[in-house]
Amino acid sequence: MTAVQGHTEEIDFIDRYRKWSDCDPVELFDAQITKNIDKSKQSIADNIQKEARSASVLFIWTDCDREGEYIGTEVRAFALRGNASIEVKRAQFSNIEKSHVIRAANNPKDLDERQALAVAARMELDLRIGAALTRFQSLKLQGRYGLPPDALISYGSCQFPTLGFVVDRYMRVKNFVPETFWYVKLLHTRDQTTTTFNWDRSRLFDRMAVVLLFESCMTGDTALVKGVARKPARKYKPLPLTTVELQKQGSRFLGMNSQRVMKAAESLYTSGFISYPRTETDQYDQTINLQNLIGKQKDDTGNWGWGGYAQGLLNGEFDQPRRGKHNDKAHPPIHPVAYATSSALSDPDKRKVYEFVVRHFLACCSKDALGETTTVNIDYGGEGFHASGLTVIERNYLDVYPWDRWESSQMLPRYQEGERFSPNEVTMQDGKTTAPGYLTEPELIALMDANGIGTDATMAEHIDKIQHREYVFSLSRNAATAPGRGSGRGRGRGRGGRGGLTGARGGDSGGGGGGGGGNNVFVPSNLGVALVEAYDVIASDMSLSRPFLRKEMELNMKRICNGELSKESVVHQSLEQYRDVYAKVSLRIDQFRQTCARYIEANAN
Amino acid sequence: MSAPLSVQISSNILSTKSILPSQAWLTTFLSTQKPNLPLQSLCQTALYRLLASEISTSVQPTPENTFPPNIHDISVPQSLIKGPVVAQIVDVEDIGHSKYSQLEALESAERGEKTKGKEVIRVIPGEADDTDPDNLGLSGVGGPHRLLLEDAKGTRVYGMEFKAIKDVSIGMNIGSKVVLKDVKALRGVLLLEPGNTTLVGGKVEELHKQWREDRKGKLKAAIEAAKAEEDG
Repeated sequence: MTAVQGHTEEIDFIDRYRKWSDCDPVELFDAQITKNIDKSKQSIADNIQKEARSASVLFIWTDCDREGEYIGTEVRAFALRGNASIEVKRAQFSNIEKSHVIRAANNPKDLDERQALAVAARMELDLRIGAALTRFQSLKLQGRYGLPPDALISYGSCQFPTLGFVVDRYMRVKNFVPETFWYVKLLHTRDQTTTTFNWDRSRLFDRMAVVLLFESCMTGDTALVKGVARKPARKYKPLPLTTVELQKQGSRFLGMNSQRVMKAAESLYTSGFISYPRTETDQYDQTINLQNLIGKQKDDTGNWGWGGYAQGLLNGEFDQPRRGKHNDKAHPPIHPVAYATSSALSDPDKRKVYEFVVRHFLACCSKDALGETTTVNIDYGGEGFHASGLTVIERNYLDVYPWDRWESSQMLPRYQEGERFSPNEVTMQDGKTTAPGYLTEPELIALMDANGIGTDATMAEHIDKIQHREYVFSLSRNAATAPGRGSGRGRGRGRGGRGGLTGARGGDSGGGGGGGGGNNVFVPSNLGVALVEAYDVIASDMSLSRPFLRKEMELNMKRICNGELSKESVVHQSLEQYRDVYAKVSLRIDQFRQTCARYIEANAN
Repeated sequence: MSAPLSVQISSNILSTKSILPSQAWLTTFLSTQKPNLPLQSLCQTALYRLLASEISTSVQPTPENTFPPNIHDISVPQSLIKGPVVAQIVDVEDIGHSKYSQLEALESAERGEKTKGKEVIRVIPGEADDTDPDNLGLSGVGGPHRLLLEDAKGTRVYGMEFKAIKDVSIGMNIGSKVVLKDVKALRGVLLLEPGNTTLVGGKVEELHKQWREDRKGKLKAAIEAAKAEEDG
């Protein structure tokens, strides 16, 4: 029994292309590549080779995902060097619960060559494209516009679209212009309760239209109750937990950024407290014993406080988890595997993540929250208005899942269909649109996910990378004030609005400053904006800061896994696309530099 | 003896579409047609051409099919226009969405992102601002709309989409013809709804092209004006 530490080998260009001064970056699209064993990992490779000599079978237990499959092929190669006749098997497992591990050990499979090839393709593309463009843009911009003569301006095919999302939102906030809208509001007091009836047309951006409709409806003397509708309402319990959701919610609810969440989750997984935290699956397999997993949490007394709730689920409150649409066929949704007392978890991050995973799991096994909405529709002088109220009847999963809010609203007074009443007040109001907020981490993760930028395993790294490169800064929400016309913001927004920047959820805990906070927003640096704009201006259709090229690459990885495409054709196709963009930008390097200069220098003053 | 061909065509279009073609226009039209074509196909071609032409040249104005002379008298709070009035659409504006959101939607459509679903993808349900249509880039499908209508005498009148009318949208054809019956007007602004407004169709190519070319500039100008007001 021995272990590896992630990848043992790395790929790089052969020596003649390694130095920046030795070749034109464009040559890197075709330059010869070699595989080298990472110096610090030579002993690992040697060890496997040595162990293989006296073994007849090699069982590989790397993680069951693409990356794990590839690492398995590395291990196999080392073992075969020591023993050319060794039999190679891999265990297929998705958590390290005892019975599951035993089952996996008894059913070894072969390595999935296609998945390994997809990783090899991705590695080659990342190396070639990353190196060519990093050298290119660094060399073209070094020593200019106040950048140091040795500035490293790195390019990554995931990094740049990630940066692109941040810049895109930033520009939308920066260019935003508030506009006035108008609406009609009707108030009625009955049984000491004043109810606001909202205009069915919500709001219009044309003053003339609203004035006319307002004037016209004021000719009516009484309002007619057209209908009183009571409808059952339901707040759905959450879907089974995926990595992307864990990262998003960690940021929203736990005040931790995605990297910190994943670090804590990995550690909880290795300690055997939760299942494998990298999964796209949001549906539970029929065979999983949920009752057994719930049972592990039932004896919690006062420690976390969910023991009684778990017991209640076992006593008949249990409800099958919802089934999402994703199944990666490798791992179940993230769930607790064993019970841990809060004192057993040394570090506060781990405590928070464990608590979230368990509460989320128990919520998944609970009933939806139930309530009733009442909607009163009225007609006043030909214009429709409505008011509605919510009564929560059964809280169910909400009792164990404090992060979802669903509260009864103010009770509506009783209204009868067909009755008439005189409104206390009908007024014409105005308001202004407000700018969107800067991009938050959950929003960024969702954008990356939807656009195929990175995998659940790497998204957090890309987000970290663009901050490390100082393309993007993470600021506390309150510190990030909108540029320019700040005073115009936040005035009435017509429909029960959340404010743009400052009005966000109160009571955020781990905000402050740069590091680790989950409730921060991302704002690009001058350099970040400059790079994105420069690529956009020149190659608008295939810009490197937009997600399309990378998304296609990611889809092609899946096609390699399905056997639809070969590694070679995928590598070739992607390289040609990036080579095109490279050529375009090279041809128009003056324009590229001018755009950069405009953003970097303008803001430096 | 049957009536002259132009009269037959005219009464056919009047009875089927409530539109009275001008005799001068019909005469010119007939001079371009081959002789001995069946009446039915001549009527169809005439209608098609009429819908594609400037209303002032092709429709015969009458007191009934044009807007009343006092339509712009804003001291009249309310009036009823019996019609049927024939008009062509010369402008359409979405008044349910901010100009800024419309410009954003237009620009992303120009980048080809809308058709790839990116506009939808780039906004995440459940996150901040998903209730605000301005942040959804959905303008163009929304409305309500404000239309500028022109009759055969060249009188232009605003109409508001009081209740949603199918096919009235930012993408509709400029120059297309509508027929209005029993329309309520508030201080000279028509309240349009499916019951009183029939979209007959058509498109005046030059108007349509010009409108599309101008739209972005108009949106930008309106936003600049809002900005000036904000800064001022």
